[in-house]
Amino acid sequence: MADDILAALRGVVGPSNLLTGVELSPYVLEGRTPMAAAFPGSVEEVSAVLTLANDASVPVTPWGGGTAMSVGAPPTRSGIVLGLRRMNRLLEHEPGDLTATVQAGMTMRDFQAAVHARGQWLSLDPPDPGAATIGGVLSANASGARRHLYGTARDLLIGVTIVCASGAIVRGGGKVVKNVAGYDLPKLFVGAFGTLGVIVEATVKLRPKPEVETLVAARFESLKDCGLAVCAVMGSDLIPSAIDLLDGEAAAAIGLPGERPALVVGFDGLAEQVEWQRAELARLCAELGGDDLRDLPAETWARLSVAAPRALTDPVAVMRLSVLPARVTEVIERAGATARGLGLRAAFSAHAGVGSITGALARGRDAVDAVVSTLRDWRDAARAGGGHAAVEAAPLAVKELVSVWDQPGAAIRIMRRIKTQLDPKGILNPGRFVGGL
Amino acid sequence: MTGERKQTLRRELEAIVGRGAVLSDPEELLVYESDGLTLFRALADFVVFPRSTEHVAAIVKLADREKLPFVARGAGTGLSGGCLPSEGGLVISLMRMNRILEIDYDNQLAVVEPGLVNLHLSWAVGPRGYYYAPDPSSQQACTIGGNIANNSGGPHTLKYGVTANHVLGLEVVLPDGEVAWLGGRTRDPNGYDLAGVFVGSEGTFGIATKIVVRILKKPQAVQTVLAVFDEVTHASDAVSAVIARGLVPAAMEMIDQLTIQAVEDAFGCGYPRDAAAALLIEVDGLAAGMASQLERIVAACRECGARDVRAAKDEAERQLLWKGRKSAFGSYGRVSPAYMVMDGVIPRTRLPYVLDRVNAIVRTHGLRVGNVFHAGDGNLHPNILYDPRIPGEEARVLAAGAEIMKVCAEVGGSISGEHGIGLEKADFMPFIFSEADLELMRRLKEAFNPGGLCNPGKIFPTKKSCVEVGPVAYRPHAIEEKGLAQRF
Ligand SMILES: Cc1cc2nc3c(=O)[nH]c(=O)nc-3n(C[C@H](O)[C@H](O)[C@H](O)COP(=O)(O)OP(=O)(O)OC[C@H]3O[C@@H](n4cnc5c(N)ncnc54)[C@H](O)[C@@H]3O)c2cc1C
Repeated sequence: MADDILAALRGVVGPSNLLTGVELSPYVLEGRTPMAAAFPGSVEEVSAVLTLANDASVPVTPWGGGTAMSVGAPPTRSGIVLGLRRMNRLLEHEPGDLTATVQAGMTMRDFQAAVHARGQWLSLDPPDPGAATIGGVLSANASGARRHLYGTARDLLIGVTIVCASGAIVRGGGKVVKNVAGYDLPKLFVGAFGTLGVIVEATVKLRPKPEVETLVAARFESLKDCGLAVCAVMGSDLIPSAIDLLDGEAAAAIGLPGERPALVVGFDGLAEQVEWQRAELARLCAELGGDDLRDLPAETWARLSVAAPRALTDPVAVMRLSVLPARVTEVIERAGATARGLGLRAAFSAHAGVGSITGALARGRDAVDAVVSTLRDWRDAARAGGGHAAVEAAPLAVKELVSVWDQPGAAIRIMRRIKTQLDPKGILNPGRFVGGL
Repeated sequence: MTGERKQTLRRELEAIVGRGAVLSDPEELLVYESDGLTLFRALADFVVFPRSTEHVAAIVKLADREKLPFVARGAGTGLSGGCLPSEGGLVISLMRMNRILEIDYDNQLAVVEPGLVNLHLSWAVGPRGYYYAPDPSSQQACTIGGNIANNSGGPHTLKYGVTANHVLGLEVVLPDGEVAWLGGRTRDPNGYDLAGVFVGSEGTFGIATKIVVRILKKPQAVQTVLAVFDEVTHASDAVSAVIARGLVPAAMEMIDQLTIQAVEDAFGCGYPRDAAAALLIEVDGLAAGMASQLERIVAACRECGARDVRAAKDEAERQLLWKGRKSAFGSYGRVSPAYMVMDGVIPRTRLPYVLDRVNAIVRTHGLRVGNVFHAGDGNLHPNILYDPRIPGEEARVLAAGAEIMKVCAEVGGSISGEHGIGLEKADFMPFIFSEADLELMRRLKEAFNPGGLCNPGKIFPTKKSCVEVGPVAYRPHAIEEKGLAQRF
């Protein structure tokens, strides 16, 4: 049977766009090698691949740049990798409408470059833009520091084209910035990790590029003081585009001298707006014991989201904790203490204004136990902080003991029903998402 | 429904919510037969007024057991017939669940009950310098529950987004009576973004009983500019020119000549009567840089041929400028016995073309139209003026409306920017969605609402319905009569 499918896939995408055997090494996930990797060149080809897979009940793993493939539970069965990299064109960009439509396989960097050339940008700054594709970023709901002001994918995606498990090609939303006709399908596919359908095209809202953008750091003696400064900034008249908090280790990882916690704040807009805000920030920080205020180079923006894992020479696990903004420092303090108590090094960074913490854990001497206990406690800490936590990266042995996703509560019933309605045979990334979806 | 069954059900409902919280007399039910779009009417068997999540859950369980259709109703200001009991059954009014349960300034959020009136939240948090951003012009009456269902917007949507951008989580009673939290208080969803999907589902996915919304800090400064044009095209160009200068105003609203004259007749807000169009542009945010933003806006408008551009000198003048915009709908009453408000969206660069088409279509049907709309978002509101006493006029209004929606669809737009599909536009859905698109939406609905009892007959094109459709004389909505709101 497998040979028949391979032959049929080859017929759809052409022999040079179907990888098999040893060529599959880049697509091995958690030790599982897929049976093939197909790279369709059009929406119709994506549809044909899915139709084939669905008819044969073979699992499909949509694959963009592969930057978030470590996220999620390990695949329960191996199947076909559906690579979107050939679908990498900008389809439409009308600057006057502040919208653009793009194929899912275009990388974030290429897309931004294309719209920058006409004075605009997509206000979403996920890590690894050179590799991450639009489709992957949307599916993983990836974001960066600027989400503080500009929100996440859900706030920017206004239309999607999806190929369903059945091969049906479906459009949701539209191309206009305001639209309430029908259900908001774009929201359903953001952060669904490819378990409900394959995003093949996306229409997004753009913004005019700000005249000036700046990133400023201030240093504090303790995390607590740094947290107070976050609250002060949030309660002030400032309109920052980012409010990040970094512990001493993460601060060092973005190139700041001395291991002290840092508050990193971004501003954009007209020069005079940015200047006024910088001065006001300096005043607020001084009042709260902050010092060493300095401007950071533009490259630092991209390092903020990955500062915690980069701070460790040998990170073994990364967890993302989503908590109430006012609880960020308390959660980090507890989580850090737990790790230290178990003899592990840890580093933390947070998009503090929106309560999104990234915690990274270094490899200890005994491989698994301490990591597992720490991650369990971190999850409890996130819950105590009013939210939840997900393991973003960890060895298989750890994932087997700590569930990757948190409990979604009673809503899981609806999630299961949605999955059954949209992917009745369960071929799309089976088992990867929340609750085994 | 037999008299006997009705008696039994009434007793059961009263056992849940108490006496005085169930209506079943035809006269009392009449009040609930329409929403703000008086063209459609449907009578419920009961109207029930729960006061808690437990009440709502018990009512829904009863409905599920008895296979009775049910629909949530907020203030009934909807403009697409969304809260009508189109197949009879229960109307569940949330008006007694109107408390603010919690305000958490540290985390900039509030937890409210669905029957809370939109503006009341801004009043409550205002003294501490905060507000709730989504500002439909019905905000003095409409409820946050209704806003959630319709994903409502307002003039300031251009910068601040629609309701969906401000909702973090919801407690809902699902159509089988079970309670679940979708989303919560933190930003990132845990699993699929069900809160995001629930918003805008027009009451077909269940009933929201608690809502967690973001509250924002009030901006330091606000400035408002009125630009007057002799050509509508020039006003449209100015909208694009402002955006091309890299500015994102908080609001950009356009008013055409017919509307300007109606407003001047009615209220005298100082708009020049002979202008072809006026643009109201508002910028807000930091005080720093405000003056240069204004300069750029003025320059952009002048370059596009504005004959006069002025910035409000003080808060009183600003209020006056907005009064003209906000009273636009009310003022149509001076020039016409009735009007029907349309709601469509187009890419903003197509404004000049579409406005021409709209005017031509309405003229062909022998009618007049006034335009007042969210130009920055491309969200049109053509208001077709007519006289319901003239036989056949209403049918012509509906025909013109359908043609306008087709034009929106043709240029890549949408058939609704904020009022929803409800009953009114269910048959227009195929203008912008294929059968496959609709099928996916049906499946999503099936996941939330498998029995189909929750708000049946809405959104999807159907043949069967026991809703009465006009002709009926236009009636202003109760809140307009009280002068509480104008129709956007
Ligand atoms: C004068 C006037 C001006 C208006 N201006 C605007 C405007 O600027 N922008 C705009 O977007 N709209 C506007 N509208 C339309 C209307 O006010 C909005 O759609 C509003 O959100 C409806 O709120 P409501 O409480 O009246 O809801 P209703 O009309 O009672 O119900 C609307 C829908 O919400 C559902 N619903 C109500 N409560 C719940 C709940 N708790 N859970 C689930 N579903 C629920 C109902 O079933 C129905 O489908 C205007 C209307 C009028 C009459």
